[in-house]
Amino acid sequence: MQLPPYSMKKHIALVGLLAIALSACQPAGQGGGTIKLGYIGPLTGDAASYGKDTLNGVLFAVEELNAAGGINGKKVEVIAEDGKCTGADSASAAQKLVNVDNVSAIIGGQCSGETLAAAPIAEAGKVVLISPFSSSPDITQAGEYIFRDYPSDALKTKAIARFFAEKGYKKVALITENTDFASAFRTSLTKDLGEDAIVFDEMVDPGTKDFRTLMTRLKKVEFDVFFPNAQTDAVMAAMLQQLREQKLAQPVVSHDVGDSLTLPEIAKDAVEGMYVINVPAFGEGTGFEAKVIQTYGKPQATIAIVAHAYDATMVVADAMKAGAMNGTAIKDALAALTNHVGIIGDFHFDVNGDVVGVGYVVKQHQGGKIVKVQELSLDAPSATATGATVEDGSGAVMEKEPGAAMEKKPASAMEKKGDAMEKAASSK
Amino acid sequence: MDFFWHMLFITANWVPLACAYTLMLGRGRILNWGPIGVGLVAAYAIFIVQTATGSYVLGAVAGLALTAAVSLLYAWLALRLRDDAFGVMAIAVHLGLIALVLNWPSLTRGALGIPRIARMPGLESTPAFALLALVIAVVWVLALLRIDRGAFGRNLQAMGEQEWNATAIGVSRTRVYVIVFLLLGLALWTDNLLFPQYLRLLHPNDYQFPVFVFLITIVVAGRPGSVRGAALATALLVPLREGLRFLPFAPGALGPLRLILFGVILFAAVWWRRETLFPVQRSV
Amino acid sequence: MQLLVNALIAGSLAALIAGGLSLVFGILGVYNLALGQTVLVGGFAAWWLRQVAGLPLALAIPGGIVAGALLSWLTFDVFIRPFYRRHIRLPLVTTIALGMILDGLIILLFGERPRAILRETKRVFDAGAFQISLEQMMLIGFTLLILALFGWTLHHTAFGRRLRAVAQHDHAALSVGVDAPRLHRLIVVLSGTLAACGGIFIGIDQNLSPTLAFPLTIKAYAAVIAGGLGNVWGAIACAFLIALLEQLTVGIRWFGRFYVPAGYQATIPLLFIIFILLIKPSGLFQSGRRLG
Repeated sequence: MQLPPYSMKKHIALVGLLAIALSACQPAGQGGGTIKLGYIGPLTGDAASYGKDTLNGVLFAVEELNAAGGINGKKVEVIAEDGKCTGADSASAAQKLVNVDNVSAIIGGQCSGETLAAAPIAEAGKVVLISPFSSSPDITQAGEYIFRDYPSDALKTKAIARFFAEKGYKKVALITENTDFASAFRTSLTKDLGEDAIVFDEMVDPGTKDFRTLMTRLKKVEFDVFFPNAQTDAVMAAMLQQLREQKLAQPVVSHDVGDSLTLPEIAKDAVEGMYVINVPAFGEGTGFEAKVIQTYGKPQATIAIVAHAYDATMVVADAMKAGAMNGTAIKDALAALTNHVGIIGDFHFDVNGDVVGVGYVVKQHQGGKIVKVQELSLDAPSATATGATVEDGSGAVMEKEPGAAMEKKPASAMEKKGDAMEKAASSK
Repeated sequence: MDFFWHMLFITANWVPLACAYTLMLGRGRILNWGPIGVGLVAAYAIFIVQTATGSYVLGAVAGLALTAAVSLLYAWLALRLRDDAFGVMAIAVHLGLIALVLNWPSLTRGALGIPRIARMPGLESTPAFALLALVIAVVWVLALLRIDRGAFGRNLQAMGEQEWNATAIGVSRTRVYVIVFLLLGLALWTDNLLFPQYLRLLHPNDYQFPVFVFLITIVVAGRPGSVRGAALATALLVPLREGLRFLPFAPGALGPLRLILFGVILFAAVWWRRETLFPVQRSV
Repeated sequence: MQLLVNALIAGSLAALIAGGLSLVFGILGVYNLALGQTVLVGGFAAWWLRQVAGLPLALAIPGGIVAGALLSWLTFDVFIRPFYRRHIRLPLVTTIALGMILDGLIILLFGERPRAILRETKRVFDAGAFQISLEQMMLIGFTLLILALFGWTLHHTAFGRRLRAVAQHDHAALSVGVDAPRLHRLIVVLSGTLAACGGIFIGIDQNLSPTLAFPLTIKAYAAVIAGGLGNVWGAIACAFLIALLEQLTVGIRWFGRFYVPAGYQATIPLLFIIFILLIKPSGLFQSGRRLG
């Protein structure tokens, strides 16, 4: 009766599927019980809009998994916890998820405080934690079991530096909201553009909405481009409106936070024409964005972080489908992963658990929509060599029409995932 | 089991602060609404020095010194300002201290917080933390009960009830205020000596105003001025707050629902005990 | 010049909230820590009526104000009245509870997203030395109008006299036939109404997000304390003063050398107020109080 383990699993999965087919009301497959996934994020407080989006990304992924029969015949259940953007709450949440609920993996930790406080607990409990939205450089070394599918700032700011060089923007005016995400981003951007390029550099209290006096000062400064480095779209909207009120007409370039459909809703004209440099997150060809909006309504902040959370859930689910059922096995599977075709791009993880391979695109706010205008290619791992001195902008052609935006990703991205995972499993 | 130890630690670690604060608010009638600011200073002082020098003793001593200094600043303000003016301005000082931490990244790492804080030798596991915090909590409760019943407690109460009369019979307002603020500072220092180590993280978000809201909830629920009440209320409310995590709300609405539920429970608790929470003022 | 205009915009908002609060705090002596949430409810209600229900602005704004008034009525009768006679500090905790409940409800009802009552960029009006939008001018105008109306009521009507009587001596006023508890309710509702106006102001000038409540409450209390207990005009003046200080903090090159980092914009005015209070503990504008 020595069956190879792989087909054994398949067998169980088949029986499980059969069991579900026979008794639709029975939640669990033959193995009994469900697969529990933990979620930690800020569901109340300042960052609640991001928490809601990542949670919806996880729930959406799980709904899809369950609709397709669950993982190896077992239904997936999400246990959500409010981390409130603080270390203390996140630690309690992680303790409960790891030691009481015995979850298979945790998606979450968004504010870096949440992720960093949950990381040692996940590490000690040998549970994989994937953060969909923590950008802090500290997370790189948070532990073996800690991953993130949110790219580190270093790559993004290089992409931005490259875009600025292409456009000939030399003098940058930067206003930063003093939160973990935005301040880490500022550090990285300053490094890549060079201190001299930032001609106006102010950090404001989190949640500030009154930028009038800063904008008044900005009028006396000569700058080519304005970069609103806010943590939330509410603050970014206030920045943009008050910038335009002062008749400052310079172009605006922003990061993920600007990739928000709420912005045109609350700052209609002021946001028009703003460039956003972010991961591709519409899931072209999969109808991802349309399906999410249909199920959960418009994202509270941006579709991009719904996609990050969705991909984080799916990459774990794929590992489990391939047989990695406990924390250590999932960790090994993620570490050995060579390619995961996700909404945000094709990615895998480096030795530190940071995501590799996610590219950037330039999007633009046009008439209340966000439209992709250009791809920014980066030689991801070795990009350090190129630095901020990329002056060659001839290769990139602006494509203004939304229809002309090309996607290199195949239409059937969802189907390809399974193959990628098998490759990963076999390469182990 | 680990979760139990975690809860025990969290609960026990709240006790010194709650008990010291209840004396200040209930006995001394000092409206100090910014105590968490002192905790912020204590934590950053301890762990900046500790990370720089590698020595817990140096960190603890530096933390103690700076905590005392900030506590004295609070005491000075409390002596100079009218009671509710001090209340609101203590919040302003708290916010100012947060702004200082956020805007001084070269020292504090700003909004990023300080990660990977090393744990003290011998304090590696959750049960070790829980037991140590429990011992500290018991010592604090016993000591504060003693202080409360002793001469200082009577002086503090006299000062809270009838300031002029108390001064007339020779109680020094300055002395009473300085001592009670230092006592609170000491509680915040013990609390923050352990907590960031336990989390392995020191983050400004853990020192925002909601922490104070929870503190005042505990103190009011336990009847202001009652050390025993504060200890009991801590033992009830901290597990209650974390226990709300076990209620099966739909994930989509769970954050706000828990918040609302906690608000309703808090209101109900005050409603239920509104006759006895604050004793009617004694007249001389 | 632009700095003054900026301060006028920010100050009008703060003055709306602080003016009513000063009465509540001066007369009832209770803390209403759910005030910031009342501001938000007023603003969000107006947003909902305008952008979701599609009503014209002329209906949405009164709707938001009514929502704020109703909420503050509820605040008084459920969260303040049963408690404040018992002990003046009890409403502090019950309104914290109310604040939590409202925080949760705002997220559930209106979502986590920021909202704006008006979507278009403002029509900016260039006056040479400074710029101001039409909407901002109207907001400032309305604020001054409301405050003037408020002052007129306070000083020139029988109602205002009763109000001032209660402010000066509760029991004495009661003995000459002023129904103090009813007046208390009116005052709280009035403060809630002004707060709701503030919320609509934010919703028109900037945008509303569910977590604005706390900083608004703090700033309003700072103005009330600095203005002197129960001194409505002092509170309003201090609200403008704080706003001006905020603009000056970051807008001026201090001593011709450096700018204060913008991160301290909110705290420096508060510290300045502490400094003033240290010199003049009864508040900036406190004159001698009449005793009954």
